[in-house]
Amino acid sequence: MMGLIFLSVYILIRSVKHEIPHGWLLFNNYAISLIFLVEYLLRFWLHSNSSKTIIEQYESDIFLHRPFSFAGAMKTIFLQKMEYVFSPTALIDLLAIMPFFHEFRLLRIFILFRVLKLFRYAKSLQRLMSILASKKFEIFTLILFTLIMIMVSSVLIYVMEANNPESRINTLFDAVYWSVVTIFTVGYGDFVPVTHGGRIVAMMIIVSGIAVISFSTSIVVSAFTEKLDEIKEEKVIDRVNALKRMYLVCGFSPLAHEVIRKLHKHHVPIVVLEKDIKKVQEARSNGLLALHYDSASLHTYSHLKFDFEHQIEAVILLHESDVSNIYTALTIRELTKTIPLYSVLQHPINRKKLFLAGINHIVNTYELVGMMSKIIARQPVAFEVIHALRSEETSTVIDEIILDAQMKDRFYALLEDPLFHQRFSVLGIYSTQAKQFHFNPHPDKSIESGDVAIVLANRGLIDEFRSKLHRRGKL
Amino acid sequence: MKPRCAAIFGYNEYSKQIVKQITSTFDNVGVFVIDEVEFLEAKNDGINAGRFDLSDDWQSIEAQFDVEGLVVFCALADDAENVFLTISLRATFEKLFIIALAQDNESMMKMKSAGADKVMPILQIAANVIHDILSKPIMTQVLHDVLYEDSPLNIMEVEVGDTSPFNGLYLHDLHFKRDFDLILLAIVDQEMGTTFSFASKGHNHHIDAGDILVFMGYTDKLNLIKQWNDGVSI
Repeated sequence: MMGLIFLSVYILIRSVKHEIPHGWLLFNNYAISLIFLVEYLLRFWLHSNSSKTIIEQYESDIFLHRPFSFAGAMKTIFLQKMEYVFSPTALIDLLAIMPFFHEFRLLRIFILFRVLKLFRYAKSLQRLMSILASKKFEIFTLILFTLIMIMVSSVLIYVMEANNPESRINTLFDAVYWSVVTIFTVGYGDFVPVTHGGRIVAMMIIVSGIAVISFSTSIVVSAFTEKLDEIKEEKVIDRVNALKRMYLVCGFSPLAHEVIRKLHKHHVPIVVLEKDIKKVQEARSNGLLALHYDSASLHTYSHLKFDFEHQIEAVILLHESDVSNIYTALTIRELTKTIPLYSVLQHPINRKKLFLAGINHIVNTYELVGMMSKIIARQPVAFEVIHALRSEETSTVIDEIILDAQMKDRFYALLEDPLFHQRFSVLGIYSTQAKQFHFNPHPDKSIESGDVAIVLANRGLIDEFRSKLHRRGKL
Repeated sequence: MKPRCAAIFGYNEYSKQIVKQITSTFDNVGVFVIDEVEFLEAKNDGINAGRFDLSDDWQSIEAQFDVEGLVVFCALADDAENVFLTISLRATFEKLFIIALAQDNESMMKMKSAGADKVMPILQIAANVIHDILSKPIMTQVLHDVLYEDSPLNIMEVEVGDTSPFNGLYLHDLHFKRDFDLILLAIVDQEMGTTFSFASKGHNHHIDAGDILVFMGYTDKLNLIKQWNDGVSI
């Protein structure tokens, strides 16, 4: 749409001194105008829900034991539609369609109204307007002051100069022109006062002009300063909404920091929701996408407009209290039943409550530490090995490879390849259908679609194996 | 010498879980606390509890346990106190096997410097698990079952002795998968200090006495290789 607007203006400018090909004019006058007309009609149609209005009128009449008033419903619909037609944006849209009637040559100038449509499409322009709108009173006062000054100085300069044959200010229009040029500190010099009275007026208006300029500058600057945090927040929200997939982390605790640091390796964007502004700032200073919102509030999600089903891979609840995690889980479960919820358990007594709140995976650090103690006390070296493999601190890792039924021969053949032999260990194959793990599988072991091979090897070698496994043709 | 007794310092949620998990694998498990409230709570839970302070008086521990076969868990709630406890124990008992809990990586380094043999960084452990559940859910489940649940699969570390049949062999001469139905995860080479190298790196490692081999496999097969390593003919 923005491209069409710029094209229209280009054609208008070029038509002033050049011959425009007929096809271009046709495109400008009909095609572009038609697109804008369709857009106008669609907006007109969508502005209010007519069927809903009729149903509401019907239900209201039934409830009040009155005959259904179709005329009443139509009147309401008409008023709703007129509300759109006379809105400033709709008027601009309508004027932008006017060049459609290109036979009226004068109406071509209405193409410029298409430029005003940019306000509808460019969010930054909308933001600028909303910032200025917050200073409506100050701007109105400034305009009023300027108008009064121009009016007073125009009349005074006209009175002082108009009857002087040496002065070029002869009409009231000349006086107004001179006042405007002077008050805005432009001062072309094509009109200058020659009388003492006129020069005194000029001095007054020059001083007022400086006041007008500085006042208007301060209004704009203060408006931007006041809205700076809001602008920054909106920019972060825009970035978040543009993400196709992400992990949503609720609560920026030290554990959250550590989890995010690890998840960053997978290049899936992570968005943090935190209601403590200091923690939000800390997260942002670490280069994270953090939003200052309460993750337990429904208002947060209605404002942020997350698409839980398609945009969010998983929600990770890492508040430092079970109460906050449960409350957030219940809020999210109100919005979606399917998204996987992960939470850390702060007090073992609350485990069941977290499950009841709809959390799918609970990480109980106390239990983990207990279980690890058993291994570490008996087999400290084995523990170190598993810990190093899981924490991905070395180049050797344990990873998953998803298989399908056609891969069987290729999978086992690759294991005999000199590149992988002795350097690539298949710990086992997990059958997702039978939910069974087959340790150290024999080449006769069948592979079903969706089975997962758990492998131990150098990270680069695993990537190479994966790529060769999915490649077509002979090995 | 395999430790037969365990002493746990502190009585909080972590120590409760440690007691729960290790009681079956040690002959004697005792809990030592500073606080009177914790002492009463432990006694109330039927735990063999004693008192200690952060001075260098370890008579009560020496009286209750044979320090040679003792493993100690430093699980005080405060990291600073835990570091102090670790350094105090190390100053008195040079050969004691000390396992310490640390809230984060920063404390972990201090625990190591204070003389802990093994440190469990709680924050990193939890983060690793959350990360693994999200990115490798099946692997996490399989490893969890192998490590912590009552599974036929297990892991085992085997120290190569002077008389071990492995002593003097090269890694590529051995086919653990084919001959033993076991997977070798890593080797700790005594010549290279405490660092370990993974079998999958492809180095043809020369196995010497003192090296530790870490295997994964079925428990009966693991026991078999342990016996073979110990010189029992099979």
